[in-house]
Amino acid sequence: MPKARLIDTSKCMACRGCQVACKQWNELPAESTEQLGTYENPPELSAHTWIRVEFRERPGEWLFRAHTCMHCTDASCEKVCPTGAISHQEEVVIIDQKTCIGCGYCVEACPFHVVHKDEVDGTSRKCRFCIDRITNGIEPACAKTCPTGAIQFGERADLIDMGIRKAQKLRADGFPKTNFYGEDEMGGLHTLYVLTERPSVYGLPEAPELATSAALTKWLIGLVTAGVVAAVPLWLVFRRKKQLSEEQQSKVEGGVK
Amino acid sequence: MAWSAPIYVYLWLAGMAGGAYFAAFIADRFTGGGNRQLFRLATYLGIPMAVIGVILLIVDLGKPIRFWHLLTEFNVSSPMSMGTWILFAWVLIAVVLVVIWWSERFFDRGMPRSLQRLTSFLGGINVIFAVLLMTYTGVLLAVSNQSLWAGSVLLPCLFVASAISTGIAILIVGAMITNASTEVRLALNQCSRASDWTISNRTIVRLAEADAGVIVIELLALVSYAVWLANSSMAGASEGLSILLNGSLAAPFWIGVVLLALLIPLWLDIANWGKQIGSNKRVAMVIASSSLCVVIGGLILRAVITIGGQS
Repeated sequence: MPKARLIDTSKCMACRGCQVACKQWNELPAESTEQLGTYENPPELSAHTWIRVEFRERPGEWLFRAHTCMHCTDASCEKVCPTGAISHQEEVVIIDQKTCIGCGYCVEACPFHVVHKDEVDGTSRKCRFCIDRITNGIEPACAKTCPTGAIQFGERADLIDMGIRKAQKLRADGFPKTNFYGEDEMGGLHTLYVLTERPSVYGLPEAPELATSAALTKWLIGLVTAGVVAAVPLWLVFRRKKQLSEEQQSKVEGGVK
Repeated sequence: MAWSAPIYVYLWLAGMAGGAYFAAFIADRFTGGGNRQLFRLATYLGIPMAVIGVILLIVDLGKPIRFWHLLTEFNVSSPMSMGTWILFAWVLIAVVLVVIWWSERFFDRGMPRSLQRLTSFLGGINVIFAVLLMTYTGVLLAVSNQSLWAGSVLLPCLFVASAISTGIAILIVGAMITNASTEVRLALNQCSRASDWTISNRTIVRLAEADAGVIVIELLALVSYAVWLANSSMAGASEGLSILLNGSLAAPFWIGVVLLALLIPLWLDIANWGKQIGSNKRVAMVIASSSLCVVIGGLILRAVITIGGQS
């Protein structure tokens, strides 16, 4: 049975324990950052920050969402990877750091802006869902450390039930826009959310799309442009020349006769 | 920004190589083999452009030493994997063609018919790879989640039109340079006759006329691409477009793309319409300037789209 984690934004208090636990377990270095006028820190996910609490600071209300890899069932990063370095290990989307050539295509393809290229090492990096922990029956570091239970780890089916019920309850309790995110997006996410606002308010795409979804159309449009449309002016110009040379030829032949 | 200068220079070079080959192939075949030298010039120009592009691409990798992993994988859903194989095939066939042409001198009574048929066949096969190569430069960006690239399915259309336009322009520049060097060598008595390399002024004028047509297509492609983006349902598509139209990249977009790549060469080509290159060097100068604008403008187009997509 696939595992997943459920992130309940109504329980998150932005302590950033998940950020610290992730860095500790995965031995990721700290980053030097600047004060940008927000309590949010560091400013974005990076090759060394695989989970980060995003802040939406609005008058009278702060929204928090732990942003990390969604471990999509249909993963854009995996689809576009030219070397097969990105693959699924059960539900986990993982980058093989030894096969990654650092082309950066996964960075451009991820609909959630999760994958980042390590400028020093050169390879792409992101959350591994603590695969070393979960294959040994231990929950991921972020879920283990979360003091309010905002990040929970478990069977995906159970978490979907739990998330939908929680969203219903919140809608009835004065958060009418609450929605459950991740059940069907990208073929089913393995990071699920209870969001108290629309996904776009939290910086999530309302309708994330697989990077390769219209790939065939895009190939065909390019081929038609070259083979049909752009060939026309060349054909018009050079066909004319052929006619001319035929005329000249017939003149020459006429002369010989 | 994961993709920067080496990527857009590479996209520009690879597109131009494919476009030049495509244009020269049509010019040659539609005239019943009347532009053999032009076709050879396109092949000779295309190989170094493609190879330089590949070198740039490899150097830009996070792990350049591991580039060979690209050659152990065939992933249909990854345009980069497909592009690797397309480029590989195009360069390989082009090199085989060059080797056959070079070997011509070893046959006393001209090239055997079988070899002639082989070159004709390989030349035809490679035009398919040239078209795929041009298309891939657009699809590479379009298959992503950056709104400026993926928000409109017409990006490959725009890039293919630009590839053919810059390809024709580089052929014109290349032809003028080879013709000039032939004249110099003739004057210095370093070669006895006007070499096989001379490309007729008539062909150069025709190429310029064809490029005007392709520029019109490119202009229409750009407008359609922009309109599509403005109405795209993809989040951030219209914001991405406004980076080009009135944002941080407005100056290179309007001056470099709209004026340099499209309107100025189109205006020059129209002003020159129907004139032949004769003893008056002015017509040749106008065609050369128009072609240089197209080539440089093509690079700026690739640059603003590549940078704009990631900002």
